[in-house]
Amino acid sequence: MSAPKTIPKDAQVMIQILKDMGITEYEPRVINQMLEFTYRYVTTIIEDAKIYATHAKKSTVDADDIKLAIQCRMDQSFTSPPPRDFLLEVARQKNQTPLPLIKPYTGPRLPPDRYCLTAPNYKLKSVQRKVMSSSSRISVPRLSVGAVSSRPSTPTLGTPLVQSVTTKVGTPVSLTGQRFTVQIPPPPQAAAVAKTITPSTPAVSNVLINPSLIGSKNILITTNMVSQNSAGESLKRKHEDDEDYDAL
Amino acid sequence: MAAVQGGLVESVDKKDIKTEPSEDGGGNNNNANDGKKLSPSPGAGAPAEGNNTTAGAPGDKSTLLAVLQFLKKNKLTESVDILRREAGLPEDSPDSTGGDSSGEAPGDAARNAGAGGADASSLLGRVAVSSSAVAPVPKAPSEDQPDVNVVLSAYSQQGDPPLYKVYYSGLKKFIESVLDCHRAELSQVFYPLFVHMYLELVYNGHENEAKAFFDKFSGDQECYYGGDLHVLSSLTKKEHMRGNETLLDFRTSKFVLRISRDSYQLLKRHLQERQNNQIWNIIQEHLYIDIFDGMPRSKSQIDAMSGSLAGEGKRDANKAKVYYGLLKEPEIELPLDDEDEEAENEEGKPKKKKPKKDNMGSKSKKQDPNAPAQTRIPLPELKDSDKLDKIMYMKEATKRIRLAPDNLPSICFYTFLNAYQGLTAVDFTDDSSLIAGGFADSTVRVWSVTPKKLRKVKSAADLNLIDKESDDVLERIMDEKTASESKILFGHSGPVYGISFSPDRNYLLSSSEDGTIRLWSLQTFTCLVGYKGHNYPVWDTQFSPHGYYFVSGGHDRVARLWATDHYQPLRMFSGHLADVTCTHFHPNSNYVATGSSDRTIRLWDVLSGSCVRIFTGHKGPIHALAFSPNGKFLASGATDGRVLLWDIGHGLMFGELKGHTDTIYTLKFSRDGEILASGSMDNTVRLWDAMKAFDDLETDDFTAATGHVHLQENSQELLLGTYTSKSTTVIHIHFTRRNLLLAAGAYNP
Repeated sequence: MSAPKTIPKDAQVMIQILKDMGITEYEPRVINQMLEFTYRYVTTIIEDAKIYATHAKKSTVDADDIKLAIQCRMDQSFTSPPPRDFLLEVARQKNQTPLPLIKPYTGPRLPPDRYCLTAPNYKLKSVQRKVMSSSSRISVPRLSVGAVSSRPSTPTLGTPLVQSVTTKVGTPVSLTGQRFTVQIPPPPQAAAVAKTITPSTPAVSNVLINPSLIGSKNILITTNMVSQNSAGESLKRKHEDDEDYDAL
Repeated sequence: MAAVQGGLVESVDKKDIKTEPSEDGGGNNNNANDGKKLSPSPGAGAPAEGNNTTAGAPGDKSTLLAVLQFLKKNKLTESVDILRREAGLPEDSPDSTGGDSSGEAPGDAARNAGAGGADASSLLGRVAVSSSAVAPVPKAPSEDQPDVNVVLSAYSQQGDPPLYKVYYSGLKKFIESVLDCHRAELSQVFYPLFVHMYLELVYNGHENEAKAFFDKFSGDQECYYGGDLHVLSSLTKKEHMRGNETLLDFRTSKFVLRISRDSYQLLKRHLQERQNNQIWNIIQEHLYIDIFDGMPRSKSQIDAMSGSLAGEGKRDANKAKVYYGLLKEPEIELPLDDEDEEAENEEGKPKKKKPKKDNMGSKSKKQDPNAPAQTRIPLPELKDSDKLDKIMYMKEATKRIRLAPDNLPSICFYTFLNAYQGLTAVDFTDDSSLIAGGFADSTVRVWSVTPKKLRKVKSAADLNLIDKESDDVLERIMDEKTASESKILFGHSGPVYGISFSPDRNYLLSSSEDGTIRLWSLQTFTCLVGYKGHNYPVWDTQFSPHGYYFVSGGHDRVARLWATDHYQPLRMFSGHLADVTCTHFHPNSNYVATGSSDRTIRLWDVLSGSCVRIFTGHKGPIHALAFSPNGKFLASGATDGRVLLWDIGHGLMFGELKGHTDTIYTLKFSRDGEILASGSMDNTVRLWDAMKAFDDLETDDFTAATGHVHLQENSQELLLGTYTSKSTTVIHIHFTRRNLLLAAGAYNP
């Protein structure tokens, strides 16, 4: 592409302005950028001024509208730092408080968590839990999925475990809690209950016990209400249940 | 023309003044549209001004309202009512609150008017007189409006616009006619006078006269004020003056001149015997003349110290005691190095562990009188890992090369390729194992310089699986799979202008144009905290040598001191007139030096937040600062290509190193302080003999008392070597613990 023989008038004016301000070395693209900025700025101001003029029910735009437009735009986009006396006053106040003592034996010295960027910034979405046909099942939404064994997971600094969690609406679950899955032998009464309902289907119910007392710990107790003749099935069912995620 | 008297004024006087303007009807030959305010004319006793231009109607109203405000402020309610009734003012309530910014200027010897005069002028300012003198209701100042008005009001009409040129030329002629020894000193007056007169003309709307004034006299000013004059030349209307914070600060702060008593007497006598002493008024209002007894200074001496936006530092400003000594190093037992001492230890014999004395600490048990107390500011205690670091440091120190003019360091240059002029900041760790670069695309990249790769801590799932009881658990927590030579840190939303490693290599700080400072962990390579406070670009940040504290400086003209565990700054160092471009801690962490675009360097006390030293002399914005390892001296580099050496204790400049032809971006002293290395935009690294420069320092009392500088022209002798790179600007310089010089820069062909 051949460059135009003569530079357009606007560009010549811009070159002259740069020279007057004492800027001698600049890349050629600077002129284009300056012209673009000038055009954009002037257009914005004039448009704003038109709006102000129509608001004041004037038929033409006059100097006052332009002045107002410039002032408003300046306060909005081209803010300047606070004035010196304000800064001096603030500094005086701030500098009066003594330097805080440093607590010994702390870990990483960071501000309180809400001012840090260390919290997890994502949450895993859960898959809708299939509604089980058996009515005998005491289906309390489970809060933990995963290994049924009682292996505690270590508290993490902000990165949730992959096998994680679904929270019930209204009861936010902290993801850095520990999860225990404990199996307890079913009490005789529960077994009796199960028998009365449907002996054939295994009844595996997971009951969440008092989360509020425990706080961040979610103790999941899988009560294995197994009738004697369906022990094998129950195990299988349990496995299947474990793959489900609770819906929110 | 009514002159508002300074000092405590009784209501009787007020009445007199009030009646004068109401009688003074017409004589108004200059009916400019934008409100002219009556000049407060402090110090001018009788209104002996040559013209009565400002006695028009708008001016009267403004005076009346100002007087009203003054009375209200002094709770002279009856007088207020009487005045209001007699002047026929409507029952409005002008806002009488608001800071008195011009009152913060301390009273000084040169001003005859007391604080009352300042109050009056600010009151006048607060009454914004609109061009149509219909509504005398003053504009209710919004939060930053009163300051603007107050400041802008400081420019009242002092005289007839076309006569300004005459006044200035008159002064010029006078100064040219005085004795040589006084001429240099009195010539200092030209620049501030020129600027203030020009701004007065602009503010009062005399655009043509202002332009003519500028064209005639701008060429006479010193060359090093060229940058400012360019900025001034673009200001032709009052509206342009708003929003330029630096200019506003220039106008409210007093330009400090240091003149000997004899020269000052000459000037005073000359100005007071003239009829129209406009210049005398301006001098009194805007200049602070620090008079000293003694020999007048020569031109070269003055040139060395001047150049800043606010004149020089007052003598009192540099008198506070500064504890520039180093803190005592803690005693650490250095166990015998088993590998070296194998021969001595035979099997069966118990190994003797001789605690080696800490050879970095002070040899004497007495406290260095110039050192701050250990507990002057709270510092974090040493953890075990820190103690290990210190032991490593001491071991390396024993292997350190002694540098001397005949034993120059080797220089290893790290060139950033393909940075496309985006490299904006670089830092090395103290043990030179990591380099961090801040880029204009808002990323921060960390490289490992040693063969050891960068590893981050494993994720929580994997951490679960390791054996916590094993000896090398600290190695096992690191993730080998993602080890790499460099890591990229994303988070900022603007170019990264400042970067700093923590001394314990756990954290990295970066400051950016988006106004935040981010703390990154070098264990996990993630961002931990974003410190918000500056709302404008933060040009520089630095960790303290002891960790935990860091300082940052930015476009909002303040430097802030933070601690990593506070989300708000602990100290704010405010006082600069323009952006703070460079921030640096003193080796004892008790003081912070800041360099600024107003061409001054200030030293701040961390404990009290006050400014203890002001160093003027640079002719351009300062970009590099370095403290000598013994804490006594400060070196600074600026866009004028000179390196200046300052004695902190006395507050004086004692050395000037000329040689660079372009901006100096980085300065560093060698580990024992013998050599000063400087890197610049002219693609060179220069080495200077710091030891010799310090030896040449003369510290006789006379020099210290009067502040005269005697600079020797020995830059050439002090220059030990110039090393040019191939069109690579030198952005950062670092001496390793063994005194090898590392330099970093981006290649831009």
